[in-house]
Amino acid sequence: MKTLRFDGEGFEYFKIWIVNILLTIVTLGLYYPWAKVRHLRYFYGNTILEERNFDYHATGKQIFMGYLIAIGLLIVYVVIQQISPIGGLLVMIALFVGIPWIIWRSMMFGMRMTSFSNVRFSFDGKLGQAYINFFLLPLLMLICVYGLPLLAIALPAYSAYMSAARSSALLEGATPPVDDGMGTGTIIAAVLGAIVCIVLAIYLFGLIKKRNTMYMINGTQYGQGRFAAELKTAVFVKILLKTIGLSFLMVIVLIVGVAIIASFTYGLGALQRTLDGMGDPSGFQGLIASGAVFLVALLYLGFLFGGFLLAAYSQTRQRNYIVNNTMLDNKIALASTLKARTLAWIMVTNILLIIVTLGFGMPWAKVRMTKYIVSNTQVDTEVGIDSYVTQQQQYQSSLGDQIGDAFDVDVGLAI
Amino acid sequence: MQILRIKGQWYPQGSAAKLVATLLCQSDRYTLEIEDGQSLYGMVSSIEVSSRLGNIERKLTFDDGSVFATNNNDAVDALIKPLGNSSGFLHSLESKLSWVAVALAVTVFVAYGFFKWGVPWASTQIAHALPHKTNELIAANTLEFLDKYMFEESELGAQQQEQIRNHFFSHLVPLEDDKEITYTLHFRAWNDGGVKIPNAFALPSGDIILTDQFVELSQIQGEMDSVLLHEMGHVVHRHSLQRVIQATFVTAAVMLIAGDTSGIADMGLGLGSLLISSNYSRGHETEADEYAFKKMLMAKIDPNHFATIMARMTDYMEVEMGREEDEQEQAKDQTDEEDKLLDYLSTHPSTEQRIKQAQRYSDCFKQGLTVCEAVN
Repeated sequence: MKTLRFDGEGFEYFKIWIVNILLTIVTLGLYYPWAKVRHLRYFYGNTILEERNFDYHATGKQIFMGYLIAIGLLIVYVVIQQISPIGGLLVMIALFVGIPWIIWRSMMFGMRMTSFSNVRFSFDGKLGQAYINFFLLPLLMLICVYGLPLLAIALPAYSAYMSAARSSALLEGATPPVDDGMGTGTIIAAVLGAIVCIVLAIYLFGLIKKRNTMYMINGTQYGQGRFAAELKTAVFVKILLKTIGLSFLMVIVLIVGVAIIASFTYGLGALQRTLDGMGDPSGFQGLIASGAVFLVALLYLGFLFGGFLLAAYSQTRQRNYIVNNTMLDNKIALASTLKARTLAWIMVTNILLIIVTLGFGMPWAKVRMTKYIVSNTQVDTEVGIDSYVTQQQQYQSSLGDQIGDAFDVDVGLAI
Repeated sequence: MQILRIKGQWYPQGSAAKLVATLLCQSDRYTLEIEDGQSLYGMVSSIEVSSRLGNIERKLTFDDGSVFATNNNDAVDALIKPLGNSSGFLHSLESKLSWVAVALAVTVFVAYGFFKWGVPWASTQIAHALPHKTNELIAANTLEFLDKYMFEESELGAQQQEQIRNHFFSHLVPLEDDKEITYTLHFRAWNDGGVKIPNAFALPSGDIILTDQFVELSQIQGEMDSVLLHEMGHVVHRHSLQRVIQATFVTAAVMLIAGDTSGIADMGLGLGSLLISSNYSRGHETEADEYAFKKMLMAKIDPNHFATIMARMTDYMEVEMGREEDEQEQAKDQTDEEDKLLDYLSTHPSTEQRIKQAQRYSDCFKQGLTVCEAVN
């Protein structure tokens, strides 16, 4: 197994990044497509396997039109969202409906514009499958998650109706409707319904992750070879459950920890008052100007960093599993050796760096993260790469790519 | 004639097969010697050269579509120099530290200027250019929402409410030139966790809400007037609409900037957005204060009443929230820096500042002026 290498340097990228920003500002944003191309060329071009590198071939000109349209859509979205919540909701729905198409186009264009060792990738997943994976199933999961409160409302209402019908039936002397203990029955039904919804939601989450990943990987080709990922839903569900479990643990540890610190310093009462005062809209200084704010800040920071740890855990487990079970052409194996602790550490120090440098440390943060991820990716090159050849294919427009970028739908190579 | 030798790899068109190769260039002709014995010839001018970017592999594409890749960027630059290729422009910007410094300075300046002046200015222009109906649009349903979740029916007598209304419409509303605005006074009781909260709100539509406790705390007509005028100031300046527009700008800018960071800096941006919107909010509060002070001078009401009612409300709240004992205990621990830090997060300027400003205007009032020049 040969390990990939990232040759980019923080300072080197900083210079490219800052000039990109300068030109984007000077051109009032019009330069952005070219800046993006330059950014991707740098990261792809510095990713190396066996002295062969990746490359990005799109030009700024190609993606400029899509970029303009995406900006227009973005402005419409933000403005509508501010003015009318219903309008914002409609836009969100339109977005949901459009996302599978955007992902589909974005994958096709992105893959086609990417090469390794002079041979292009390609993507031929079907649009219909994209709709199932990125719209239908997520919608189902959403219904399960939001079905809970609906269930909680509907069942008691039904129970109330039944008891009203029963008492009126008794008065009129007719046979009361069969209800066999509707009171407790309702509660049991509600709880059961809630459990079913939660279980279904968790299962669907795993299923969606598995299907989406397999859709994107199995539809990707390198030259004439095809990628294939063998994934099981159960693994994703397990990772999700472990993450949920860890998050409960984290919440308990944090609350207990801060409470202990509180009782030794400012007192629990002061903490409670500060928490209550936080919601006050007219900013009375007296409330905020208390040392107990330090405790709230501690709690907040704890949740923040704990969140990073959880995210790192979930991401590394998933990525390792996916890459370890992906092969090219059934001959070339891939491997991933990310560690949750290291990734979490890098995430946390990166964000500190970015905050402390007011954002200007971002290039170093990006390079650092990329170096770690790339250097923990391996490819079995024994079979050899030389036989691969770029396949003839129709040129695809970049509309989906740019719209995807504007709304942060990131579906590039999982490097 | 000097021969330029560049070592690298060669790939046939569209093929991953990598072969070691050397490019030899003499004046305007090239020869490519490939390790398997093949050779390519041609004019240097027919080679398509990728633009230089940091130190990534440079790709030279020949007429037959095959590609020669090399890490020797300097040699390639020397090769294409006589051809006058400007493909090195961006790279020269990126490699000359002086340009990098310029880029850095410009970015900082523009970013700062955008958020500090650009957005507020643009928002003000747009807010006032939009028809008055827009203000009513964004206020729609807000009062219903507040009534549902925050307020209760006022316990003030009908006569007292009538009195306050009459005074407001006969003495304060005429002070404002914009006749398009229809004001309505609402009285509500606001009880939060057993504490009766004194406050006044203005909705962009011209609806002004006064809480019972506020009415009770106001001892002199001038005190209530000062706050009512402050609220009118919010309506006249269209602060709510400005907020919406500002939020749009900031959100769009943040989304564009953050597009590249894959979530890493989201937290930092969230904090930054909060600081920015708090700053804008304080600006609006100060503007509303100024409006009130100016109108009070015009109407011959002492601006100091504003200071009085502000101080009374602050004291009242501190007592109610049980802060009094803690405050005295911690008064020694509190440093000025801590105060300043909290100021940045606050939606209002510090009460101290506002009271000081009221007193400055009050000085002018005592001199019998209707316009105060001595204030910044």
